Amino acid sequence: MIDFLQNTIDGVMTGASYALLALGFTLIFGVMRRLNLSYGPSIMVGAYLGTLAHLHLAAGPLGVAAVTVAGAVLAGLYVERLCFAPMAAGAGIAAMVSSFAIWMQLEQAAILVLPRHTYPFPPLASATAWLGPFLLRLDQLIMLASALVLALGVQALLYGTRFGLALRAIIGNPTAAHLVGIDVRRATVLAFALASAVGGVAGFLVLASDAQVTPMFGMWATMKGLIAMMIGGLGSIPGALVGGLLLGVVEAQSQWYLGPQLRDLAAYVLLFACLVWRPGGLFGAAPVRDLARGRSL
Amino acid sequence: MDDYLVGVLSNIGVVSFVALSAYLLLLTGAISFGQQAFFAIGAYAAGVATALWGWPLAAALALGAAVSAAAAAAVGLPTLRLHGLYFAVATLAFAEMVRLLFELARYQVEIDGELVGPNGADGFRGIRYIFEHDLGPLQFLALIYGLLAAVLIGFMLMERSRLGVALRMVGEDEVLASLNGIAVARLKILAAGLAGALAGLGGGLYAHLTTYVEPRMFDVMLGVHSLAYGLIGGLGTAFGPLVGVLIDIGLLESIRPLAGYRMIVFGGLVALLLIARPRGLLDEAAVHWLQRAWRPRRRP
Amino acid sequence: MLDVADLVTAYGKIEALKGVSLRVESGRITCLLGPNGAGKTTLMMTIAGILQPRRGTVRLDGQELTGLTPARIVAQGVALVPENRLVFPQMSVHENLLAGAYQRRGRGEIASDVERMYARFPRLQERRAQLAGTLSGGEQQMLAVARALMSRPRVLLMDEPSLGLAPLVVAEIFRIVGELNRDGTTIFLVEQNAHMALQVAHHFYLMEQGRVTFSGTPGELAEDEVVQRAYLGARRAAG
Repeated sequence: MIDFLQNTIDGVMTGASYALLALGFTLIFGVMRRLNLSYGPSIMVGAYLGTLAHLHLAAGPLGVAAVTVAGAVLAGLYVERLCFAPMAAGAGIAAMVSSFAIWMQLEQAAILVLPRHTYPFPPLASATAWLGPFLLRLDQLIMLASALVLALGVQALLYGTRFGLALRAIIGNPTAAHLVGIDVRRATVLAFALASAVGGVAGFLVLASDAQVTPMFGMWATMKGLIAMMIGGLGSIPGALVGGLLLGVVEAQSQWYLGPQLRDLAAYVLLFACLVWRPGGLFGAAPVRDLARGRSL
Repeated sequence: MDDYLVGVLSNIGVVSFVALSAYLLLLTGAISFGQQAFFAIGAYAAGVATALWGWPLAAALALGAAVSAAAAAAVGLPTLRLHGLYFAVATLAFAEMVRLLFELARYQVEIDGELVGPNGADGFRGIRYIFEHDLGPLQFLALIYGLLAAVLIGFMLMERSRLGVALRMVGEDEVLASLNGIAVARLKILAAGLAGALAGLGGGLYAHLTTYVEPRMFDVMLGVHSLAYGLIGGLGTAFGPLVGVLIDIGLLESIRPLAGYRMIVFGGLVALLLIARPRGLLDEAAVHWLQRAWRPRRRP
Repeated sequence: MLDVADLVTAYGKIEALKGVSLRVESGRITCLLGPNGAGKTTLMMTIAGILQPRRGTVRLDGQELTGLTPARIVAQGVALVPENRLVFPQMSVHENLLAGAYQRRGRGEIASDVERMYARFPRLQERRAQLAGTLSGGEQQMLAVARALMSRPRVLLMDEPSLGLAPLVVAEIFRIVGELNRDGTTIFLVEQNAHMALQVAHHFYLMEQGRVTFSGTPGELAEDEVVQRAYLGARRAAG
């Protein structure tokens, strides 16, 4: 029982990082109805810049965090400009494939700058504490708190501000959003930047708790964010949170009881089952019609 | 021809099968990130058939295609009502499940004092049919391209048949297609099965070409690449995916000096290409134009 | 007030508007009638800035609107009630109205305008918390009109407001159009329902195959001839 609870705690902590990744992902998808495969690699570009700042400028955790977030936003805007902005309404698949091509590009650029397989990443806080029989890590608590705060923040932004109203209008109907005077292009770019910033925070916290960065991080971030987003429900903020936490817990339990090899398998079984039984995800509405027809991907 | 060139051409030919597999589904409007699963299943099945059971190559390739087709049709069933991104991610999940299962799968038999067969994450060594039967690289290359040509002819015949029209109609609009009397569900399962068979055939060839396969070769990267080939080369004709593979593998292999920068150049070029031609180089309009230019003009 | 001069808009090689010129006078209801495919919706979308013209100009009180973004055009005082209504389905009626005032500042004034809309459209007040996607077609049309009015437009463009609505609801919509105009709103209305449109219009244009083919007041042309040309696009009917 203690094992089970400790696994659950560990899972929730790891899941918090998935939730953060899914949060940025779902924001982009919600507003653009397009899949940005370069989401993880853009975060990695930020993380590599952060690592450079750490190695050459001896930047501390906060400095590295700032560089990582800023780098992720810049890389995200580059992706938006090249893969999404120029694409016409019906070219969702082309945009997705284009973002995949840029993924390859960003990954190789990162490897060119820092060619070794692993580099140290400054840890945020390595303190641990016992809560009764349970072991807690401070950096993971920070991650969980960040996930909750950012999810609440994004939710408040969407439902409580003028910018949020604009974003929800674009999600509802882009043409009508134009017609009521919303600058759709500007709002979309801002949403993209915001999502990349959330991803940057996620990337920083994950890497700080691993204390290292590898070129595999981009793919890892895209995959974990995508899985958590799909489990929770596309475009849903509570869904991103719950999807991430659920994925974390399922991974932690299966790692403990079934072994590391079956851990990833369990995650994909969960994803496949969720898609087949509840295609809209746990929190999403049923897929909308134009989406169902695969038009806008 | 030197061995290097033969190797590159063989590679292009084999990968074209997965690209065509993803392209076939794209015609029906389905985006699959998971065709590498059937490539893997075909590779393992055909490899086991020759290396462990001593089957002839033709029978082994047929087995690979058949097993992959059956698996693809079986996955097609639960994912039938999924569309767009939901379908794409479901196929991705399935493909990763297959890959991880191959990492666990062990089936080894002692042959000539040596253990042969799938050995989990360490892969499956010793698929030596072409050496044991004195098939030279050129002969195998001919086999690959012979099969590829047959597949392409099949595609061309299909495009002109009722089946081809029905597939494109389903791709345009499923609801409309069903209103026109097309059995959408049956057609989608059929397309999934055919696409699975194509990938499986390619996989069988791949296993015998390289003599060695391991699960990590069949990861998401291969799946997304396969999908991208169709989009780069063009969705207007079955030659489109081939052009995509040729550009990626052919061009990149030929500019070796660029090694460290090739993805930077290539990624940027693909992104720019897709801005100019969102349905690829050989899109429907280009194919139409080429057909008109090809045929002698007739007076009305 | 709104001047359209020699407007050409094309989809690829196909010109949907082949040099359209017309004028919407301040304080009046101007109607544009024509068969399907005449280019009426294309004209509306071009005026609103969703489509870019290949040639020609759109001016509001002499000020150039051509080339502005849709957002800037709304700010200049042109609001379009689009064909098929296009409400924001996942937002409440109330939020839809607030979105209509997106360009405006001043919460107090916006709130009192919302109340004014509720007074004019009591059905919307009853359903203010309901998601717009769950409204009936007629209610969505009213919401789309109210949303457009929330930007305080100088000219209200309406694209086929009667499309797909029951006859009683159509009558209600046209009653509102007349009422809005009496209260001082300039209206430019695209319609297929020639009978209803001619009852409210001060001036009307006929459009066929991307060109304006007639301009006049409702008395000038017998209604059955207008109907014939508007529905059948039969230039032959005129001679």
